[in-house]
Amino acid sequence: MDVQDILRGIQPIPGDVTAVRTVQETRPPEEFADAYAAEVNLKCASKVIKALDKAYPRDATQPLNHLRRFAKHEHLSPTLQQTLKKADPSSTQTIFVLIPPPLPDTESLKALLTPFAPPNPSSPSSPADITLTTLRVPLYAPLNSAQADKWTKSLWPVLYNPAAPRGFVAPPPQILSRARDSIQPKAGRYLALAREVAREAEQSGFGRGVGAVVVDPEIDARLVDEGEDDDDDSERWSDAVVAVAGDARYSRLERATGPNPTRLTYNADLEGGPELHALMRVVDLIAGKRRADDPDNTPASASASSAPLRPLEAHFLSQLDTTFSSNPTNSTQSETETDPSTPTNPEKFQKTESGAIPMPSTSNPNPPENENNNNNNPRIRSRAQGGYLCTDLDVYLTHEPCLCCSMGLLLSRFRAVVFPRGGRMSTGGLASEAAAFHPVADSGDGDGLEGGDDETEEKEDQDDKRLYYGLHWRKELNWRALGFEFVEADGAVAAATGGDGDGDGDGVQFHA
Amino acid sequence: MKQALLMGEKALATGETPVGCVLVYDQKIVARGMNDTNKSMNGTRHAEFLAIEEVLRSYPRSILHSTDLYVTVEPCVMCASALRQYQIRSVYFGCGNERFGGTGSILSLHSDHTIDPPYPVYGGLFREEAIMLLRRFYIQENDKGEQEKQCLLISHRLTSAAPKPRPKKNRQLNTKVEYE
Repeated sequence: MDVQDILRGIQPIPGDVTAVRTVQETRPPEEFADAYAAEVNLKCASKVIKALDKAYPRDATQPLNHLRRFAKHEHLSPTLQQTLKKADPSSTQTIFVLIPPPLPDTESLKALLTPFAPPNPSSPSSPADITLTTLRVPLYAPLNSAQADKWTKSLWPVLYNPAAPRGFVAPPPQILSRARDSIQPKAGRYLALAREVAREAEQSGFGRGVGAVVVDPEIDARLVDEGEDDDDDSERWSDAVVAVAGDARYSRLERATGPNPTRLTYNADLEGGPELHALMRVVDLIAGKRRADDPDNTPASASASSAPLRPLEAHFLSQLDTTFSSNPTNSTQSETETDPSTPTNPEKFQKTESGAIPMPSTSNPNPPENENNNNNNPRIRSRAQGGYLCTDLDVYLTHEPCLCCSMGLLLSRFRAVVFPRGGRMSTGGLASEAAAFHPVADSGDGDGLEGGDDETEEKEDQDDKRLYYGLHWRKELNWRALGFEFVEADGAVAAATGGDGDGDGDGVQFHA
Repeated sequence: MKQALLMGEKALATGETPVGCVLVYDQKIVARGMNDTNKSMNGTRHAEFLAIEEVLRSYPRSILHSTDLYVTVEPCVMCASALRQYQIRSVYFGCGNERFGGTGSILSLHSDHTIDPPYPVYGGLFREEAIMLLRRFYIQENDKGEQEKQCLLISHRLTSAAPKPRPKKNRQLNTKVEYE
């Protein structure tokens, strides 16, 4: 079938895009420490705070703002109500103050609080004694309201602040939701294209049925603006695709025609290597384009790993040689708005929304060859034009990438990675928890915690004891990407897993 | 290991992050690799990948089961997983990599549960030489801008010697190496 026909015939996979939670969210650090609570006179509350803060200055490196400083008896959890008894059960004029860790010396603390003690029920003229009760408090702020509720119910009242900075924990919610909203409309189409690429890889015998599609979200946004994206009869919807690649792990082996029988088993020695996986190959195709204008561009050693291109791969590679024409208004804008001295900021997705970034290509002081043609922007900018690795690009994969490819996509600086939930792999590097454990509807907040550890472990056992690395957003790593799973609508799952419609490759564990 | 360091020197001379490695099979060096991310514009072209490709040009993949890797810096997460998939026999490295290390520093992909057998890892061989090689790279002016450097393998302990950006012409090469 002709490539144009394939593109026109691609039907979007129905489903929803949902963020892959980070391991910081799915395995939040839970550390607890002892604190004191004491009953004081309600009217003295502000004086109590002043006195405590003066005597025991707060440690800025250990902010405990999530712990309520005061709680009325009726707002305490039932267990805590048992522990913290009011001196006079009928009095409504008292409140409990929390003295968080590090714990001060009890004698000086009692002396400090004595002036604020509640009225003594038996002799109203002299105040009651201060009683310090020890309790447990969480040292880290809760990551969502469910965790806050859990702690409030079992420990001391805790506040959840959704606006608290948590860049190391998870992507900023507004950036994540903007990216999700821009990815959602066409994800089904791009994944359907990835599946075609995968089918091509498998049918050719060069590899397993794994495919990768790289999209420039900036071009995608302009297609949407121009209304070119939803015409079913044209292949214009694929204009934002900058490169596709299928798996080629068998390209070093002797091949017969048709799918390679090796795919039905896992024999490490026949698996080629990760540099022949779809993700690594698509990265290499883009790198080749970035190098195109280098003065000393010898076919770099990188191309040694490249297998011969299949039709879809070749089609999109040749599309790169044609330029992407945007309408004249956009292009004029980009010329005036772009500051050529601004270096590409590898982390700009964390700061700007992708649609707002003008295309810098026409602003290059020395455009190599299109001086007379300002309306045309190269789809992959070369090194000389400021192009750099895979910055600001999104990659759509038929399978959850292996650990090696997961790290490869971070080192390549992709903005986002999208894979179907049906394509999860026991060897994958991105999922952070068992799929069944986390329901599809993801409000970005709440759920996931009530299940408790036992349930998590049980699910993990069922999932071949796989490990969940959540590599896309880990606080330890220098580079991070937005991770999304595409949850296929009912019935679309089987079709989306790897493009081997005959199903006989199913159940084999391998590295995608 | 000295041959791996020489490959690192070569990378330094060509403006790449100075990481070098050799693969040893049957007491012979069968392949050498050095980082090639800048020239290739491909962030995955680490020394280990280049060396493995060289081996595969002359040998079947299966010899990697009885091949050892000697690399100046702990393999990153990507390479640690690749070496596992290739079922390397063992890995020897110079200094740890607290930013990206995949064989102990950040993740332990050499020993985690997966479908390929684990491999043993031995760190600290010629550690000082490996650290000095990296320091000599990070002290130089980078006319390609800070962004390129940030992407490269950085050992936290090495950069902690110079936590804030400052004019590099004033930088002194720190020759002291802390002991672990």
